[in-house]
Amino acid sequence: MASYLLKRILAMVITLWFVITITFFLMHAIPGGPFSSEKQLPDEVLEALNEKYHLNDPLYKQYFDYLGGVMTFDFGPSFKRVGISVNDLIYSGFPVSAKVGGMSILVIILMGIPIGIISALKQNSPTDYFVTIMATIGVAVPNFVIATVIIYIFSSRLGILPSHGLTSWVHYLGPVVSLSGFSLAFVARLTRSSMLEVMQQDYIRTARAKGLDEGVVIFKHALKNALIPVVTYMGPMIAAILTGSFVIERIFAIPGMGKYFVESVGNRDYTVIMGITIFYALFAIVMILIVDIIYGLIDPRIKFSD
Amino acid sequence: MSDKKIDQNSFEPVDMSLHEAEAISRRSLTYWQDAWRRLKKNHLSMLGLVAIILMTLLALIGPLFSSFSYSDQSLELGNIPPRLEIYQVGPDHYVYMNKEYKLIEVTREGEVLSRHIPLEDNIFEKFRIYEIGGKNVKVDYSFAAAASKSSDAEAVKFAISIDGEPLEILDEVRNQTYRFGSDNLGRDLFTRVLYGARISLLIALVATLVNFFIGVLYGGIAGFAGGRVDNLMMRVVDVIATVPLLLYVILLMVIFEPGLKTIMIAIGTVYWVNMARIVRGQILAIKEQEFVLAARTLGASSSRILIRHLIPNAMGPIIVALAMMIPSAIFTEAFLSFIGLGVSAPMASWGTLANDAVSGLRTHPYQLFYPALFISVTVLAFNFLGDGLRDALDPRLRK
Repeated sequence: MASYLLKRILAMVITLWFVITITFFLMHAIPGGPFSSEKQLPDEVLEALNEKYHLNDPLYKQYFDYLGGVMTFDFGPSFKRVGISVNDLIYSGFPVSAKVGGMSILVIILMGIPIGIISALKQNSPTDYFVTIMATIGVAVPNFVIATVIIYIFSSRLGILPSHGLTSWVHYLGPVVSLSGFSLAFVARLTRSSMLEVMQQDYIRTARAKGLDEGVVIFKHALKNALIPVVTYMGPMIAAILTGSFVIERIFAIPGMGKYFVESVGNRDYTVIMGITIFYALFAIVMILIVDIIYGLIDPRIKFSD
Repeated sequence: MSDKKIDQNSFEPVDMSLHEAEAISRRSLTYWQDAWRRLKKNHLSMLGLVAIILMTLLALIGPLFSSFSYSDQSLELGNIPPRLEIYQVGPDHYVYMNKEYKLIEVTREGEVLSRHIPLEDNIFEKFRIYEIGGKNVKVDYSFAAAASKSSDAEAVKFAISIDGEPLEILDEVRNQTYRFGSDNLGRDLFTRVLYGARISLLIALVATLVNFFIGVLYGGIAGFAGGRVDNLMMRVVDVIATVPLLLYVILLMVIFEPGLKTIMIAIGTVYWVNMARIVRGQILAIKEQEFVLAARTLGASSSRILIRHLIPNAMGPIIVALAMMIPSAIFTEAFLSFIGLGVSAPMASWGTLANDAVSGLRTHPYQLFYPALFISVTVLAFNFLGDGLRDALDPRLRK
């Protein structure tokens, strides 16, 4: 286990280094400096700006400086927001995003799995058909459509949900529903199909033949195995929530990382793009490692060897 | 040995058909024929397949039947919905009033002709007076502001009168000129949605080709070579795949100028890694089989074994993965366009159309409806087809 963890962490560091290097050189490959765009600045001002942000240094020095900065968790200043560093944006944005994302993950797990189980246990009933149809549609509708439809119906037409901001708990309903929509449908479908498969296994018949209570059969014998594919999906799910938040936060005007990211993409704020990309990558890698460890804990067949 | 007489009647001729029981009565089916037979039984998949074919045809030849091009704009005919509430002004004069309380000349059947020029446009008293067919038409919208503030959604916002007499809605007709309505610049949404289909399906095609060539070959080589080469190649894939692919795509899109070509390059650069993993797994599983040894004994080269023997045998899972991959590529394009990194105006993709519609969602919800419907139906169709293909090509995975 310890050597497995060590290997994984080493792989993590390599991945992160790769991401940093790629983002750094990609961002520096863009023709023109970060200040050469809109209005023509006087040469002296440009010179001073370049001096201030160390853009006159040779590229390798900038690269190692940046690498050193990232290691001490310092992503440098924003080029477009005066006096604000990328760290400030992350500190102010991440807790907000994490709250919305965490709630969405809770909703997905606490609703998706039970819905899938119920649907599988009542196979071919009206409930099952309803769940299957909803899940199929849920996977096909993009989250920005769900979000805009929620705003249109519940905020504009009925006026029962606020359309933007995050000041009270009702504000969370719209973003959480639209952020969890896709994965919720996917998890429900996944749980249903794997539950159906497990319920046909011989050991379930054995458990029933022993005269076990149906509740024990379902929750103790079947569910544990049925959840393995669901746990496998957790890694991609985190990625889906992360990237989904880009749009959802913009639509609902939530001051989270996703909103800052999309804004920085919009106004080509290179350090912010780099910093947030690297932060997202780090976050995704750590989450996937955690999911893998959980995976090994619930499925004893998986050894922490490779 | 007695001369026991055997009664002739206790015999009966053997039914000849029994001899043929072992005969092969049906032509033996190849793997693909068998898969196709199974796929045909799956109604949902066939529905998906038909929808995809229809969508492709519509994207290819649909714009030819439209009298507009995707960039034709007529500002004064903007934001006209697909269904029109028309008023009859004279025996041959019909009008439609848009959300800005301006009258537009239409026919009884719902063809949009042109915007009427008001005789008097009083923006302080909030009324407009038109002269249509010799009659005096007055549009009074002075209570619109109060009505939209009141909680009653049904509050009256305007009044149309003709020579002093109030005018009632005559009929609701389909918009014959703009079948899906027009956008805020007066461009035909029907044409633009069809052009959007071209772009989305083009992205789907590119994603497919990249997966097919880079993903399959990369995974194939890694799996076939094995050992250190495999290890190195798959670590590279791991490194790429750990980070959400959309992040790379956004990065690439930031660097290049946004546009169709860039999206294709960006998606093409990273969207093959999952395919490489799947193919490698397949190749590892089949490369120890006897037919590979047989091919090698016959002197086949490594590349020939890989391309002619191994990859065709892994085709089932590859096609299933492709069908699942396409919706994700379409989603990615819509997503990129939605956050403003997509195709540049006046070109339209479903994502940009949806994005354009968001600002006017309150008054013109139909502008979001059609692009959203097309994205959803296409993704749904590919999902149905993918599910069916998985059942048909890989019966072990049947769910």
